[in-house]
Amino acid sequence: MSDKFQQLAETAQQINETRSTNSKITICADYFSAIGKDEDLNRAAQFLGEGAFSSVSGKRASVGSRTYSTCAAEFCEIDYEKVFKPCKTALGSSSEAIEQLMNNIEVACQKREPAQLSLEKIEETYQQLYRASGRADKQEILRETWKQMTPVEIKYFIRIMTQGSLRIGFETRSVVSAIAEAFDKEVDDVRYAHMITGSVGRTAVLCKNDNLDKASFNLFHPLSFMLASPIENRAVEDLDEYVAEEKFDGMRAQAHISGQQVELYSRELNEITHSFPEIQQFFLKRDLPNLVLDGEICVYKEDEILPFQLLQKRMGRKKPSKEIIEKYPVLFVSYDLLYHDDRPIFDHTLSKRRELLVELSQQHSLPITNQFEVSDHDHVDELFERALAHGNEGLMLKKKGSTYEYGQRRKSWLKVKKPGGTLDTILMYAHAGSGKRGGYYSDFTLGISVKEDERYEEEFIPIGKAYGGYTDEEMKRLNERIKDLTVEKYGPTLGLIPEIVIELEFDDIQVNKRTKANYTLRLPRFKAIRWDLGPKDTDTLKDVERMYQEKIDRDRLKQKENPSFVFHQ
Amino acid sequence: MDRTVNDKMRHMNITKAGYHGILLPDLNIGFDYSGTGTQHTFISHAHADHMPRSQSSSVYCTPNTYKLMKRRGFNGEAITLDFGEPLETDEARITLYPAGHILGSAMVFVESDEGSVLYTGDYRTPPSPASEGFEIPEQADHFITEATFGLPIYKWDSHDKLSQEVRDFASQTLANDYTPVFLAYNLGKAQEVMHMLAPLGHPVQIHGAGYKMCDVYEQAGIDLGNYDSYNRETCEGNILITTTSAINNGFASNVSKKRIAYCSGWATREASRTQLTAHKLIPLSDHLDFFELIRLCQELDPEMVHITHTPNADVVRHYLDQRDINSTFLDMEVEEDD
Repeated sequence: MSDKFQQLAETAQQINETRSTNSKITICADYFSAIGKDEDLNRAAQFLGEGAFSSVSGKRASVGSRTYSTCAAEFCEIDYEKVFKPCKTALGSSSEAIEQLMNNIEVACQKREPAQLSLEKIEETYQQLYRASGRADKQEILRETWKQMTPVEIKYFIRIMTQGSLRIGFETRSVVSAIAEAFDKEVDDVRYAHMITGSVGRTAVLCKNDNLDKASFNLFHPLSFMLASPIENRAVEDLDEYVAEEKFDGMRAQAHISGQQVELYSRELNEITHSFPEIQQFFLKRDLPNLVLDGEICVYKEDEILPFQLLQKRMGRKKPSKEIIEKYPVLFVSYDLLYHDDRPIFDHTLSKRRELLVELSQQHSLPITNQFEVSDHDHVDELFERALAHGNEGLMLKKKGSTYEYGQRRKSWLKVKKPGGTLDTILMYAHAGSGKRGGYYSDFTLGISVKEDERYEEEFIPIGKAYGGYTDEEMKRLNERIKDLTVEKYGPTLGLIPEIVIELEFDDIQVNKRTKANYTLRLPRFKAIRWDLGPKDTDTLKDVERMYQEKIDRDRLKQKENPSFVFHQ
Repeated sequence: MDRTVNDKMRHMNITKAGYHGILLPDLNIGFDYSGTGTQHTFISHAHADHMPRSQSSSVYCTPNTYKLMKRRGFNGEAITLDFGEPLETDEARITLYPAGHILGSAMVFVESDEGSVLYTGDYRTPPSPASEGFEIPEQADHFITEATFGLPIYKWDSHDKLSQEVRDFASQTLANDYTPVFLAYNLGKAQEVMHMLAPLGHPVQIHGAGYKMCDVYEQAGIDLGNYDSYNRETCEGNILITTTSAINNGFASNVSKKRIAYCSGWATREASRTQLTAHKLIPLSDHLDFFELIRLCQELDPEMVHITHTPNADVVRHYLDQRDINSTFLDMEVEEDD
């Protein structure tokens, strides 16, 4: 029984129905310890902790929400647009809607004959989906698999397949704790093994067989990134313990280099080497020892770091054309060194790692960030202004004595940033909050005006969703007002008469073709509720387009004097 | 064929009165209507979104609905009508049918020269055992129906199964030395849950707003078991019943060892678990589910189904179209979470 997918689905469901984290961990630990074969333990931990494929495998089932949703609608013999979509909207989840429909609709029940599929069989199915190329082929595999499943199996089969969260309040971190509890090991040791092997499944098997000490760091298995906290939450008293670097307007990446092999990984630990062939070439030409570098990919042209918006034209492209590469050339600027002299060095202090990085940079001509000792807050301000003049996002403050705290966001790295801008937006939808904010509408979809825009028929279209920046008092007052403005209710979401104006602050504007506006805001949050303004005062899509263009066109300080990074060519 | 000929001569005017209530202006009839411009206003049941807002209204309703409305602060006048006891006006004959939603809940059946209308208010079939049951006229030309749960994701388990779930949750929680708390709307759902729990014989405490409704239920012969009004000092170890709003405002906040079950049709939504910090979701509704709604429309086969109380009228209409049943959407109202 322990090798059946049904049991994994039931365990996940039981974890979901349990509130305390410790009890969740115990349920999962009991499940792990009852699994007989190593291969099945590997699969179970992998499915619950990471998804269908290990994050470092680079493999994905690549089945989009539309592909499995239309397939499910067809399976249930219901209209996708007219019936499936409203169901999904009401529940806020396609996979949950599919579970309910599979349960409720008679023709779907008749087609299904649960066959107690094994974990091994499910793994094979994910491999088949990975290999299948067209939508029709993938849907055929889904249909055949669903015919042999219960609704709860189908729900978790989909969630694991999409590599997203299982939405059971139990993330990778908890799975690691459950592995430790199941096999009576120290959580820190298990976490370390997970970090350096990059695989929850392998970690579980090492743990079960008492082989944790055999876990070793392997090149080409990316390490979770160390993250920075915003400075406003973390007042700095001991400024002299920090150094400053400019915070680049680029894409965080990790480079693994060994002999003739170079691979790049994104913050989500996806392999992205193919999008940036010139970086691969750049490292190959430098005759480097085995290395892991943490740094930033930036568009760099004629002594200027160009904005993230231009880097977007390079991101997600499997094979960039020569033309695109010439138009938006990129550079990898390193700021940390994690592997050196054939061993991981994340337990060295930042100062020590920096020393080694500087040495490498001089010997092999690698671009590295410029680092500054900081004396006082005025000095920080001065450096901050210069970073902005370079077109960068702001400043990073890094604690000299800190180790590389992989996968954590603590006080050792701090970011100083400036808001990208503000817009006066209209409140379009309110969404019910969860957890602490349960019982209130705490998330809001904000819109901009397209009333006089011949491209649209609507008055307002969404530009972003914000769930912070207001006080409790403001939220309560907003909730009172919303009651009178509600015209529609879709499950947890209220459709509102456009009347309340919110001054929205955000970090940046980005192009996103999948949205109605074609733009999304980065980190939108409330700056003020403008009770004094009305719908007529709302900013327009044209304003957004203008702000975006201004950002691209603005003057940037060249990298000749006081540069953001050093590059001994 | 007769019916088609008649259609051309008859015309039933049905309009929505703003956000609250529905009118048959030609017959001088209002349903759950709060204004004063109509001679005969019928109140389907005592939930806030159906009760008259004006204290001075004069309305028709069942005796139980009248009692419950008074408990909830209604000071106006009401003429009570028993189920099946018709009222004759100059324009029509009106009969109340039990709606199975909560105690006293009624559907209003109007017969006139312009045809017949059945207005459901809120209803449930099979009915709540804590109500007078459910009964429907054999035929109606116009069927004005709520469709609160108008999506195929909503399908209820049998009453026996839900009832067992409620009792099991209470017993298991008590056995683990925790206090069970049921989140249930204070009129209707709360008493239905109490009725389900009665066989356990364990003492129940119910929030004051629901407590004052209970004796009306008992007078109607519905067993609510061994219950008392909520008392913060003594509530631990009892089975507690309260509303979603009270639990966030300090209800039993002194009891740290408690487990919460949310009883509502909306408990189908997994998201309500985190929104309400509920341990258990029990989809126990006092409305009918989607499949029951479609089946009922088929059985009744009216000339026109008028849909109200739903954001998903288009889905219901799509299903009715497939079954060759004419339908239309009567504007929109936002349903209270009951």
